[in-house]
Amino acid sequence: MSVEVVRERRTAILVEELGKLPAFLRRDLLTALSYRVAFVSDVLNLVLQTATFYFVGLMVDDDVLPTYGGNTTSYLEFAVVGIALSMFIALGLSRVARAVRAEQMMGTLESVLTTPTSPATVQLGSVVYDLIYIPIRTGLFLVLAAALFGLDFDASGVGAAAAVLLAFIPFVWGLGIITAAGALTIRGSTAGVGFGVSVLTLVSGAYFPLDLFPGWIQALAEFNPLAIAIEGMREAMLGSAGWSAVAGDVLTLLPMSIASLVCGIVAFRLALKRERRAGTLGHY
Amino acid sequence: MVDVWQAPVEVPAFAPARPPAAALEARRVSRSFDGTRVLNEVSLTVEPGRVCALLGPNGAGKTTLVRILSGLVMPDSGSVRVCGLDPAVHERIVRRRLGLVPSGDRTFYLRLSGFENLVFFARLHGIKRRRARERAREVLEQVDLADAARLSVQKYSHGMQKRLSVARALLTEPSVFLVDEATHDLDPVAARNVIEIIRGLCRAGAAVVWATQRLDEIRGFADDVSLLSHGNVRFSGSVPELMTHATPRRFLLRLEDALPGGDLADRVVTALAGRGRVERAGGAGSGHYRLRLRDDVILGDALATLAAADARVLACREERSEIEEAFLALVQERSP
Repeated sequence: MSVEVVRERRTAILVEELGKLPAFLRRDLLTALSYRVAFVSDVLNLVLQTATFYFVGLMVDDDVLPTYGGNTTSYLEFAVVGIALSMFIALGLSRVARAVRAEQMMGTLESVLTTPTSPATVQLGSVVYDLIYIPIRTGLFLVLAAALFGLDFDASGVGAAAAVLLAFIPFVWGLGIITAAGALTIRGSTAGVGFGVSVLTLVSGAYFPLDLFPGWIQALAEFNPLAIAIEGMREAMLGSAGWSAVAGDVLTLLPMSIASLVCGIVAFRLALKRERRAGTLGHY
Repeated sequence: MVDVWQAPVEVPAFAPARPPAAALEARRVSRSFDGTRVLNEVSLTVEPGRVCALLGPNGAGKTTLVRILSGLVMPDSGSVRVCGLDPAVHERIVRRRLGLVPSGDRTFYLRLSGFENLVFFARLHGIKRRRARERAREVLEQVDLADAARLSVQKYSHGMQKRLSVARALLTEPSVFLVDEATHDLDPVAARNVIEIIRGLCRAGAAVVWATQRLDEIRGFADDVSLLSHGNVRFSGSVPELMTHATPRRFLLRLEDALPGGDLADRVVTALAGRGRVERAGGAGSGHYRLRLRDDVILGDALATLAAADARVLACREERSEIEEAFLALVQERSP
């Protein structure tokens, strides 16, 4: 068989696999829509959370906050970007990690795996809804916060902020898939996700400036992708920074994201193989 | 990107020049869990158009074998071939050719309708969206669930879920069906419906592995039987061959109990003269008796003796079916 034939077959399989993702998306969209109350309460929760920070912000002296592009910011403007991204990582990680686990718990994972579907498609398909929904939710949160509390975001920075977010998203996916792989092998290990997210968030400067930390934690924070993403988005949305100002952040985030994604895919593949060998795929 | 997917290079042209005689073949398959051997060198062959009943008591290894045949669990040793192909090498092709009806209930998305579930699984089999919807409707009709197509699966009864499971296995018109306890939760009519569907598939050339504990349903349905006990194959052959392992000694009789001349039970006991025992099986006047024959006595002779003593035998049947007798005899044998 010629190399071309092999390549054509691989391409055909890849196209077929990608064609299955809309089916996963529809499945999870229909499931989410069947929980209408949860959907509405999620939006209300976003508003209430923002209101809380608005009132906390009334107590904070703006002078203690860093400036972006020479512009002073209010505490709510400062915190909203941090909240948006920390919620993004918390929600992204837990939902991505629990998506496959939920399939396992429901007993549907085995049904899915008896179809001619690649494990990579199963893992991507299980989270494709969240991968789309969570960035939309994050954007909605920022728009709601700006509209309801009169935040002064720079519209011209939206493109640069989106670039930072796009570079950061695969990092969260990868981390989520690593956690999902862990959950397949060690039942209940998703409980550790909350702790991990808290640590990442604490040293990210999401809610307060990193200057308040001891020097060594500040040094560590320079390698924290969440901190990098938050600072990049603040520069873009509050400091009117152009594309060039966030390029460094994007270039730093990209290799981290790629490494996270590759590690996630490999870990999931290994976990699935181990479960099949052990015969415990359907156990929960 | 292809590497990320590790797309196996499927080679349909690889199929042997002569199609394999066996649609499904397991050779000396063994499997242990936590040091306990669940399957011990189990072999099984199913030819196209035949139903192989997989019998065995709880814990015999039936479900593990079905899971191995479906590729959900890897065997420790031994090999499996589906339509002559090794599932480990030709995973995608093999999965297209296999239809699995698992034993558990938790195999569907409960918040989605039966129809949406089937469309989803059809799409995972690579069926295009429009065709997937058509196919879902067709198989729902086949299992008599068309009226419940739009109901969420959480509103389905166990029996309906089982039929939906059969419908899912039908989606791709596979050549091999693995059916694990399909009729377990079904009422007799629904069970008969499922059996008829499977019988139809067999007539069309599909091979079926039918794991069950309901011994009564394999008579007239299964062509071959494999009986598992403690992970070992205790019997492999046809249903009539299985029944040769049974020598029924206990029968239920219905006698006309309105004859003059004393108690009927006393009379038949006297008539049998030590060739067996008769005792009343129902209330007085019901005419039901249990007949237990000595090993060297033939049923026909015993019945002739009763008839000669003016006991009119209205009905006679085995207390346990021959299949059940054989099952018990084989399962109760000592492990090799």
